[in-house]
Amino acid sequence: MDNMLEMYLYETNTLLEELDALLIEAEKNKDFTTNDVNEIFRSMHTIKGSSAMMEFSSLMEIAHHIEDLFFYIRENGLDSMDESHKNDLFSLMFQSTDALRSEVEKIENDEPLSTNIDPIIANINSFLEKISGSGNNSSDESQESEEKSESTSDAGPSSEQKIALLNQELAGAPQSDLPYFIRIFFEQGCGMEHLRAFMTITALKDVELDFKYYPEDVETNSDTIETIIENGFYIALSSQQDVERALNVIKEQNSIETYEVMENALLKQEKAEPKAQEAAASHHEEAPESSAAVSASSAQASQTQAAAQTPQTQKSTPAAPVKQSLISVNLSKLDSLVAIVGEIIIAESMVTSSPDLEGLKLDNFMKSARQLRKLNDELQDIAMSLRMVPVSGTFQKMNRIVRDMKKKLNKDVRLTIVGEHTEVDKTIVDSIGDPLMHIVRNSMDHGIEENVQDRIDAGKDPQGEIILSAAHTGSEVIITVSDDGQGMDTEKILAKAERNGILTKPAYEYSQKEILSLLMLPGFSTNEEVTEFSGRGVGMDVVKKNVESVGGTISLSSELGKGSCTTLKIPLTMAIADGMEVSVGKSMFTIPIANIRQSFKTQKGDVILDANGNEIIKCLDDFYPIIRVHDLYNIETDITTIEDGILIWVEDADKSYCLFVDDLLGEQQVVVKPLPSFLSNYNIKNSGISGCTILGNGNISLILDIKTLYAAFYNQY
Amino acid sequence: MSAATVENTAVNENPEVSVSTERFLTFSSNGLNIGVSTNYVIEIITNHIITVLPLVPDYVKGIINLRGQIIPIIDIRLRMGNPSIDYTNSTCIIVLNINSVQIGIIVDDVQQVMDIDQSQISPVPVENRQELISGMVSSSDRSVILFLDCEQLLQTY
Repeated sequence: MDNMLEMYLYETNTLLEELDALLIEAEKNKDFTTNDVNEIFRSMHTIKGSSAMMEFSSLMEIAHHIEDLFFYIRENGLDSMDESHKNDLFSLMFQSTDALRSEVEKIENDEPLSTNIDPIIANINSFLEKISGSGNNSSDESQESEEKSESTSDAGPSSEQKIALLNQELAGAPQSDLPYFIRIFFEQGCGMEHLRAFMTITALKDVELDFKYYPEDVETNSDTIETIIENGFYIALSSQQDVERALNVIKEQNSIETYEVMENALLKQEKAEPKAQEAAASHHEEAPESSAAVSASSAQASQTQAAAQTPQTQKSTPAAPVKQSLISVNLSKLDSLVAIVGEIIIAESMVTSSPDLEGLKLDNFMKSARQLRKLNDELQDIAMSLRMVPVSGTFQKMNRIVRDMKKKLNKDVRLTIVGEHTEVDKTIVDSIGDPLMHIVRNSMDHGIEENVQDRIDAGKDPQGEIILSAAHTGSEVIITVSDDGQGMDTEKILAKAERNGILTKPAYEYSQKEILSLLMLPGFSTNEEVTEFSGRGVGMDVVKKNVESVGGTISLSSELGKGSCTTLKIPLTMAIADGMEVSVGKSMFTIPIANIRQSFKTQKGDVILDANGNEIIKCLDDFYPIIRVHDLYNIETDITTIEDGILIWVEDADKSYCLFVDDLLGEQQVVVKPLPSFLSNYNIKNSGISGCTILGNGNISLILDIKTLYAAFYNQY
Repeated sequence: MSAATVENTAVNENPEVSVSTERFLTFSSNGLNIGVSTNYVIEIITNHIITVLPLVPDYVKGIINLRGQIIPIIDIRLRMGNPSIDYTNSTCIIVLNINSVQIGIIVDDVQQVMDIDQSQISPVPVENRQELISGMVSSSDRSVILFLDCEQLLQTY
């Protein structure tokens, strides 16, 4: 059950996301394409079906009504609606998808579903009545009868004799040369007959029966409901034995009222009606064809669509020899895979650097060890790449936010997305969602000018622009949100910071960069008024915290009148890093290779004392402070004179200094493990240690965080 | 401590008994007998190399690598404000899982596992209330067992 629910949530969420992307795109073009309509119809149909199966009635109802609406639109063509209708339709659709989404969220949070969904359904119905132009035309029934007449156009008129009808239906089923049939009737009024039929099919497949069924497209085509109610659902089998096995399964199915076994009278008559066959076939093919067209045309959503489509394909045509190239995997399984790969790498170095091997000459062993190393590296790359997902999903959500705020704030803004296919670790994608939303909201609310006239006066395009971009640079992914709005007024910021009493030095000493970073201090909001979207006091400081929690950094830049830009730099993956092992006394520390500029021996004479008695040293014409790790961490060591140890010149962002350690032990790839959460009670993160790693011999090495270590050093004095 | 309440080998408790009794692991630290519910105990380990952490209170001894898991270690003696002693052969680490937080505590000596009727546990008298102790029980040979408040263990002062 849990599995089914997970699958359901995944599928529904993906569909809703797709739908959102599609609606945004369509609204931009101010029109729906036929493909859009088909796509919405199909999504709603799937949501309806799966919700009914999971017994989420409110979701089913909403989806059902939207499906009805789009059925009407599909039948009558888009031209039947005028401009205002279309606008209404957009708001209606956004409203309904929001309703669906909130229901899904309730399911996710294990809350009861809302029982009162009448307003939204009334909205949909009244809109449907409006576009159909005739209020007295009770929509549901008229449509269903339309559906029926469409799908059973061959069967309907000639259905005088039961046998004749049966024959015709059988002719519609390909390869009707099986001698036995089971005809199933479902309980009257149980609803969703086609899905029940499909569940029966699945159950039969589970016992590995070879069979055909009719109507063939029960899962994808709700039109078949009518046929099933009227004529029953047929299963064709090849032998008496199979029939008995099938009956055993069918007896266990719910909601089946009656079933009967019959022999195929047709078999000898050899009567096939190509016309009906064609009709059935074309109906069946329509779905995959158009969906392919959609995914090709809307390149934006193609990535997520591809992922979402696969499970559907798998479900709808289980018998077809479609090669499955995508599967969805539980994230926790991937996590444990990555964890195990990490353990393997540790175990490998345990074996290859085992003290038992010291001094032995082992050519063959070394050869095999190298091979193992290579394979492990590959394994690690693959394991890490499994967790990589494109940021497009998160970016697409911003579309929606911009759209909603555009309406509410009455600002004309377009969102441009660049590099949405950039792939980052799944945990990072999840954790940047909220910060990005916040930044985009800030840009919309504070960045873009209130008045269009202000923009025109400043010689800018009346339509504001927010650019959301993602790009890789080596080991980092850089995400920027920039707007061409009014920019940030540094004097105002400074004045406000002064009012709020968060300045730590005289106002005139602040540089432009420092002023902007004031924005990220807790309790700072430049907007005087609190709006629905921003200015609630929790602002950029929360964003900063979120970004830093995944090891990233955030920086702001702005030019008054030209706009502002927020840049997030986030490491691609946090789990495995290259590190330099160093020893201090009996302790071992790992310094990330990325932070190391140089390591060198020095003489006492090169070290200079500054006014406070701190040691500094000159490297490449600049002076840098020396931080003695053994002093900072109170570690006992014999090596205290500067000549005996070694200096490592490190830098991180704008901090650059030299660390004094006992010795270098060598470079190693390390699996970063977070420190136990218990230790965060002791503020361990601020003492310059970001995590730890297990070495080949089972010992633990602490990973130094160059940035916070510097802060820890200066806080000490 | 061969009291009637001690049942080292009682494995098949019937349901009525298990409602009122709880199984405790007792250990000694600075002369006190302290019990911790076995629901929290994962294992007892000895002779593990502890990696020292800088800039933490002295009772936080560091972290250990327990089969790939990083577990923080605190010394119960120091945590309760007692002087430290050199670790001996009987010194060991009890690894606890408290609300899915794993933590190891260093104790002088592990004694035994015993079933204790919860109704017999009495609160600590207010005047000699001690940190980390949630209750006490006196066993029949007049020795007193104190109960470790595991939740409090996770909190800083």
